[in-house]
Amino acid sequence: MRQSPEMSRIQSNMQNGSLSSEGFLGTDTRNLADILHEDHVVVKSLGISHQKIAQRMQYFTQKGKEGLGRPILVDEVFEVSVEDFKGAIPCPFSDNFNAGKQNTKVFNIKKNKSIAWTDLNIHMIEAHGFYEGKGAIFRVDPNEIFEILW
Amino acid sequence: MEILSAIIGISSITVGLAVLIIIAEKTLNDYGECEIDINEGQESLKVTGGSMVLSTLSNNKIFVPSACGGKATCGLCKLVIREGAGPILPTEEPYLSPDEIQKGVRLCCQVKVKRNLKLMIPEELFNIKEFKARVEKIEDLTHDIKGVRFKLIDPNQIKFKAGQYMQLHTKPYNKVKDTVYRAYSISSSPSDEGYLELIIRLVPGGICTTYVHEHLKEGDEVTLSGPYGDFYLRGNCNELVFVAGGSGLAPIRSLVLDILEKKINKRMVFFFGALSKKDLYYVEEFREIEAKHENFKFIPALSKPVPEDEWKGETGLITDVLAKHIPDASSKEAYLCGSPGMINACIKVFEDKGFKEEVIFYDKFS
Repeated sequence: MRQSPEMSRIQSNMQNGSLSSEGFLGTDTRNLADILHEDHVVVKSLGISHQKIAQRMQYFTQKGKEGLGRPILVDEVFEVSVEDFKGAIPCPFSDNFNAGKQNTKVFNIKKNKSIAWTDLNIHMIEAHGFYEGKGAIFRVDPNEIFEILW
Repeated sequence: MEILSAIIGISSITVGLAVLIIIAEKTLNDYGECEIDINEGQESLKVTGGSMVLSTLSNNKIFVPSACGGKATCGLCKLVIREGAGPILPTEEPYLSPDEIQKGVRLCCQVKVKRNLKLMIPEELFNIKEFKARVEKIEDLTHDIKGVRFKLIDPNQIKFKAGQYMQLHTKPYNKVKDTVYRAYSISSSPSDEGYLELIIRLVPGGICTTYVHEHLKEGDEVTLSGPYGDFYLRGNCNELVFVAGGSGLAPIRSLVLDILEKKINKRMVFFFGALSKKDLYYVEEFREIEAKHENFKFIPALSKPVPEDEWKGETGLITDVLAKHIPDASSKEAYLCGSPGMINACIKVFEDKGFKEEVIFYDKFS
């Protein structure tokens, strides 16, 4: 898929060493427009929206914060821990959004599966439908998150 | 033939446009020499326009605090700019209150020097210096926290208040092409004038902490600037309550060492919260201090000890431990350093105990 110069500029923000040491694209060689499109197709096929996914993630992050770093049980099925780090990171889409460096881990006890995300992931999914490139350290796979959080 | 002519035509137009853009960039972005007036004539700088105020000042050895390195994510680099700054940018708006906007406060990492400027710089910022230093020792304090001791080379001494922080400048590594700098609290005592110690926790994906944890070696030369910050001892009380989590121990250690060295007569209690024993550090040092000084009490607390920890100390959330040990607010000041979540929760406990806002001081990870 062809992408606009603006999209290419955003993609350059996502390279490793620009806003974070590892970047947002991992080993993914597709252009950003393709990454966004392919994840959008997956999310649509699941019958939900990026906003619904982000809301669900935000729900667990908010609950997990009550543990002050200690894992807590949420809805009897999920073990949630939220960890804070020093600093903040701007959104690579240059939309003036800065996220605190806070990571959430959710372990689904019934399914014996876990997933992790950052506050920036929640924003990028909600506002831009971006789940990061394949192989990125904070890639949130839509199929995986749907399976674990619902 | 027609196709070839069309290709040549389009290529010529493209090249022509590119040349025009280059010429326009050189002429339109050439702001020439600009004058920066500081504090109504106290100092005047002649600079070449085109760079941000933050970096322009830094190039002239005036260091304004910034924890994010100019990416408009920390909101620390606020200065009053009376003339020449242009309109407020959307990147600045989240960090400026209506009152600050009224007073002409701006984020100087977002304001470009395009014309003459008149700005106000607080006196204390003139004391901030840039230091060349050598890494003398790197120590693994926990699985993800390193303690780094720097020997100052030029200048070879520093004066700071316990609780303040420095900015560490990285060097390019791997795909990180630019120098970045981040803020870290000083953990050593101000009396150790020729050295600085910082405590740095690895942030997954963090540019500066990855540099420290994976690339910085003993013997390396680095640049530091500082000291910055207003998290320091007030001491208008009989008892000091310190609370820290993770690398938030750094400024508390500096404060405790300073108070003991200066023989400031205060009772002190230090609550250090961690998940399990593997996240604790400097425990022996604080236990030794406790043994030597009867007015100092150290209370480490684990919120999720594992069986192999064989932990016999306090357990539970740091808020519960605080609530248990602090009966009231009488003649006490509280000093907190750690994550925003931890600090907000602890402030609530202190307020419930009757602490007034003006005796609670904190340094949030932000």
